[in-house]
Amino acid sequence: MHLDRLWLSDFRSYEAAELVPAPEGLTVVSGANGEGKTNLLEAVAYLASLRSFRGAPGEALIRVGAPHAVVRAEVDRAGRRLLIEAELRPSGRDRVQVNRQALRRTRDLLGSLQVTVFAPDDLTLVKGGPSARRQYLDDLLVALHPRHDATQSEVERVLRQRNALLKQAGGRATPDVVATLDVWDAKLASAGETLVAARAGLTAALSPVAAATYEQVAVSAPKARGAVRLAYQPSWDGPLLEALAAARTDDLRRGVTTVGPHRDELAAWIGELPARTHASQGEQRSLALALRLAGHSVVTGRLETPPVLLLDDVFSELDPDRSAALLAALPAGQALLTTAGGLPPGARPAVTVRVEGGKLLD
Amino acid sequence: MYAAPVQDLIDELGRLPGVGPKSAQRIAFHILKLPADDAMRLARSIDVVKRTVSWCRRCFNIAEGGDDAECDICRDDRRDPTVLCVVEEPRDIVAVERTRDFRGRYHVMQGAISPIDGIGPEQLRVRELLARIEGEGVGEIILCFSPNIEGDATGLYLASLLKALPVRVTKIASGLPVGGDLEYADELTLGRALEGRREVDA
Ligand SMILES: [Zn+2]
Repeated sequence: MHLDRLWLSDFRSYEAAELVPAPEGLTVVSGANGEGKTNLLEAVAYLASLRSFRGAPGEALIRVGAPHAVVRAEVDRAGRRLLIEAELRPSGRDRVQVNRQALRRTRDLLGSLQVTVFAPDDLTLVKGGPSARRQYLDDLLVALHPRHDATQSEVERVLRQRNALLKQAGGRATPDVVATLDVWDAKLASAGETLVAARAGLTAALSPVAAATYEQVAVSAPKARGAVRLAYQPSWDGPLLEALAAARTDDLRRGVTTVGPHRDELAAWIGELPARTHASQGEQRSLALALRLAGHSVVTGRLETPPVLLLDDVFSELDPDRSAALLAALPAGQALLTTAGGLPPGARPAVTVRVEGGKLLD
Repeated sequence: MYAAPVQDLIDELGRLPGVGPKSAQRIAFHILKLPADDAMRLARSIDVVKRTVSWCRRCFNIAEGGDDAECDICRDDRRDPTVLCVVEEPRDIVAVERTRDFRGRYHVMQGAISPIDGIGPEQLRVRELLARIEGEGVGEIILCFSPNIEGDATGLYLASLLKALPVRVTKIASGLPVGGDLEYADELTLGRALEGRREVDA
């Protein structure tokens, strides 16, 4: 799939902007830092996920003083054209349209456009806490099928309800607390098992692909350490419903849910070394790239069309060898790339645009 | 700070559901600008509704009259008293009535279980429901909640509570748009969901 055209109005620093990227190959967006290059990629990614890949709240995406922002894109999915549009409002309730038809629910937009984002802080995917890795899996699941979004929000909502109840109970298991906990446990168990089965299945599919992409982007000596391996590690054994029952006394005492999909881990090894704690910074960077590439490859395989690649200032964080390796490993399809400096040798942009003072210049 | 009467109005409006401080301020200034007649009409309708409308003492639907009022449906002796359709809010009765497929009576829980909003079983009309099953010879309870997490949870809770009683507990068939409210379901879909109700195995 590819973007034919992108329009922004009152999005972040842009009052009005239009971008026509190359349908195939590299579209480079250059400009000094702080000019708003990343905002363009953020807008494209917003249409794919309905949130900012930089973790910014919705109202931060609306230009200061404007009543709302609009992101509109013309997308080509294997010859089928889609005009998709999101109007971001300060209340957080977006209005979304596909082919000028308003969608009843905002989340119904998911599935219209898929993207793979490479961000400068991707290192946290390997080095940071487990929540970044769970988010990585969950984003890929939604790209694979929008129904996973409903499961994820259900798990999230049930957890909020269960935790609120645990806090209110103040450690006392009255008959009403017990009866309602039973209900939330049942709901968390059924949605949680569904989510975890999907995450585990995805991890199994990703592991060999990540091993192969790591081989492509890892440079020089460390390859000798052995293959990359991924494993999904749930925070409990056996059926979730039983684990929740077993944890209940503890949960009541602590006022939070201590087992469930929100406590799980996606573990990664390079050879025999746990990547998070034992790999070098260089290896961790390569692994982060490999995970992004692997996700992209799995989604491409299932959807039979590659997501749009969004590369946000990635080369600034990579040494020349790793930059060249990433460039060589980039799959075919459309890629939008931002850079404040130059490009690694061998990069052949199909289109280049410059950002200056909130405007796009050819 | 505004003059005390204005601030009082803003504070009162801000207590309404879904009205934040900003909206409360906007509505207050809108009311200030209204012609006196229009503003008094609003005040009067609030006054009238509070004096003449209350909850049905039997099913907790909206009813005209004082504390011992009964709603039109409970007073209608052509309605089958042995089948109770249990809903969250009076607006859901309107949705079910639109289908014209249901000839039994209702019980309004006046909410759904939602700890985030501070609502547990004790805030709902659970005891009153149990009393009616005993006292009115109810043979079937149809759980008819919105297809969202809180509606499901309330249904599950009641189903397990009613398990011990000699009453058939059914649940409307799935097929309503998930995550929505009952009131948004069209009458054909809701009618079919009622028709296809199934026994709950709690
Ligand atoms: Zn009544």
